[in-house]
Amino acid sequence: MAVINKTGSAHHELAAPTRRPPLPLVSLLLNALACVGMMLSIWAIFLYAPTDAIEGLSQRIFYFHVPVAWLAMLSFVIVALGGAVYLWREDERWDWLALAAAEAGAVFTTLTLVTGSLWGRATWGTWWTWDARLTTSLILWFLYIAYLMLRSYLGKTPTSARAGAVLAILGVIDVPIIYESVNWWRTLHPAAEIGTPGALPPSVVLVLMLALVSFTLFYGALLIQLYQMVRLQYLAWRLRTRLQVVD
Amino acid sequence: MIYMVVAYTLVWAGLFAYLAFVSLRIRAVRTELAAVEELLHEREAGQE
Amino acid sequence: MNTLSALRLFYDQVLAILGKDIRYELRSKQTWLGMGLFALLVFVIFNFAFDLRVENRAAVAPGALWVAFVFASLLGLGRTFAAEREGGSLDRLLLCPVDRRAIYLAKLLGNLLFIAVVELVALPVFAALFSISLFSGELLPIVLLGTLGVAIIGTLFSAMTAVTRARELLLPLLVFPLIVPVVIAAVRATGALMLVAPNEPPWLGLLVAFDVIFLSLALLTCSYVLEE
Repeated sequence: MAVINKTGSAHHELAAPTRRPPLPLVSLLLNALACVGMMLSIWAIFLYAPTDAIEGLSQRIFYFHVPVAWLAMLSFVIVALGGAVYLWREDERWDWLALAAAEAGAVFTTLTLVTGSLWGRATWGTWWTWDARLTTSLILWFLYIAYLMLRSYLGKTPTSARAGAVLAILGVIDVPIIYESVNWWRTLHPAAEIGTPGALPPSVVLVLMLALVSFTLFYGALLIQLYQMVRLQYLAWRLRTRLQVVD
Repeated sequence: MIYMVVAYTLVWAGLFAYLAFVSLRIRAVRTELAAVEELLHEREAGQE
Repeated sequence: MNTLSALRLFYDQVLAILGKDIRYELRSKQTWLGMGLFALLVFVIFNFAFDLRVENRAAVAPGALWVAFVFASLLGLGRTFAAEREGGSLDRLLLCPVDRRAIYLAKLLGNLLFIAVVELVALPVFAALFSISLFSGELLPIVLLGTLGVAIIGTLFSAMTAVTRARELLLPLLVFPLIVPVVIAAVRATGALMLVAPNEPPWLGLLVAFDVIFLSLALLTCSYVLEE
């Protein structure tokens, strides 16, 4: 039933062939804001922020690493929320959102792992330790890849959307558990301390906040683009199957 | 210092490569959608 | 219909599907034998990979045991829904007016039973091959609870991947990241039996907690996965 309704509405949407993307003004504004914010934060990170007395230049990776890691986690929450609302409302736009967020999340998790590794090499002298945060990020990355692979294997079907939603919901509850259990596992092997928050000078906090806001804006802009792409892919795929049915 | 510059360049190059990849995919799907719509219209016009 | 008779019906449905699966497996025997032999082979490979001597045995043996169990379970778990799909009987099962949770629960219990039997056979062999005295009776609840955790996630995703062509590839990719907490808890609980360490968290309790969380999530979501 739901499927028939969906194809019906998609057909209706295609009545206007070259449709403008929804809310072009908001999207444009977001792109501009993200662009300005990124420039500003790059200036702040390299020229405004004080050089760390102990770590030196490599401490500046921190301003990239933290926002990227935050977005990697936020993205998984969006995937799970999109999936949950999809299961509840049966509205496929939420599934498109989940799929777009999964791709953006996979990219940001990769960036988190890379920047974290580079920073770790510079400060700890090692690319990788099996610390709770690092292990959880790695497993998050595996979950994103598994999600994307599952979706691509199952195709553009409601089965695929439901399976993805279930995976994302299980994952979003599992990730904190993984973090805690790796923490407990590590009790015997004390890991390197990343540093205590609260001891940061105000200018560092200011730059970090600026970087957080501008990276989030950039993420928002990217998410909108990816959402549009997923939506168009679904519409094109649906049209093609309709053509084949006519044949 | 050189390590930092190389790392920074690599990460940003990777990000921009991804952005370029996304815009290419969007363009591809736009053209594909246009082509398929064209085909469908021709088909419907032929039927009437 | 009041709740009691609804429960009764649910229970009957679970038992009926479970009985059918047990009869099928008893007749074919493929899954059991395959899983058991696979677990034994993993033990052999581990012996060569780590050169188990007296001093490092306590550190490696729990890991070897659980790697063998998890890999063998996944082998069996992949078959649960795939065999039904190949025979075309899953569609018929889904057409029946049966609660989806009953189907899921019956499959889960069946998997747990098969894996547990294989593990009970493999455990003495493991003890003999690695010359470890077959610990105390405390190992049994750990093995059972760890297997339950793997089976809960595995059965759910087995239903998802049964439709795809690449299910042997996809199932481990989906299951392994999610069962990390269960594997950590099971390995550490087994290790604590062999080498008493101070300040260990209550791994057995955590294992129960993980199983409860996973089972409730799986029961909540399984109706979305088992749909045609």
